[in-house]
Amino acid sequence: MNHDDNILEKLNHKDGMTVPDGYFDDFAARMAASLPEAEWEKKPNVLPRSFWDKVRPYVYLAAMFAGIWCMMSLVDVFKSSSTDALFDNNQLLAQAFDDDSYMLDYFVTEGALSDTDLLDELYDSGFEPASLLNSNNQ
Amino acid sequence: MEDKELIGKLQRPETCREAFGEVIRLYSEPLYRQVRRMVQNHDDADDVLQNVFLKAWQNIDNFRGEAKLSTWLHKIAINESMSFLERERKHAGVSIDDEEAFLINLIEADKNIDGDELAVMLRKAIAKLPEKQRLVFNMRYFDEMKYEQMSEILGTSESALKTSYHHAVKKIEQFFRESD
Repeated sequence: MNHDDNILEKLNHKDGMTVPDGYFDDFAARMAASLPEAEWEKKPNVLPRSFWDKVRPYVYLAAMFAGIWCMMSLVDVFKSSSTDALFDNNQLLAQAFDDDSYMLDYFVTEGALSDTDLLDELYDSGFEPASLLNSNNQ
Repeated sequence: MEDKELIGKLQRPETCREAFGEVIRLYSEPLYRQVRRMVQNHDDADDVLQNVFLKAWQNIDNFRGEAKLSTWLHKIAINESMSFLERERKHAGVSIDDEEAFLINLIEADKNIDGDELAVMLRKAIAKLPEKQRLVFNMRYFDEMKYEQMSEILGTSESALKTSYHHAVKKIEQFFRESD
């Protein structure tokens, strides 16, 4: 066989391979018919939207605003129930707090009145320590 | 139908199947030629080509149209052909070192040829090339593919591909000189 270096030019890009007649037409039809159904081809199974589904977001939104309004009202109630408001609304309590003896009797707490204060108070009210001795001797 | 229009249709579920039919019609021949030059035998090429389109169909939702459709399909075809040859070689108990003889046996057993003795010799010469050079030579010489597209398909620089093709041509010419 006589070949030169231009063998590739001689062959002119031909590979000498053949296919049966009508192969490509037949292949295209066969292949297209055998394609399985793809996942994304299946239509999504969408259920019809009920009335509740439609209004639900708005109901949730309204409930959220109602909640905020309730919280703000509560804060307002607590603010208005301060000490001044308590006395303004309760005459009896106001009178009691004006009375020093009431305060002394009911609101003297531990630490708020020292022993010295107590003795001073007793002496001011006419207490005599000697009377205690007399009463013990009797 | 232009590539852009076809990709647009492929990305819509309602037109995808029809568009894919068009893809099969457009690309079955060039992909068959590529696969056949790798696996050598018509029946095997037919099986591999079916797998190529099946794989493309199953992964069409991953194809975003960033690459050319033909580039994407050629990549799948090359991978499928190489996997097929690997399986066949293992099945026949042939080691990777005897791949040349394995391919030459396939060429000699191929019945679907036009009788051109020179073309058969060229196929045998190509079978002697290393795998990458074989791929590059087939794509450049037979398909006259641009180096730019070959680079996208094979993930190799254009200069490396040109060098590879040049070496392949030299080896083939040498093969023919020696067979005189």
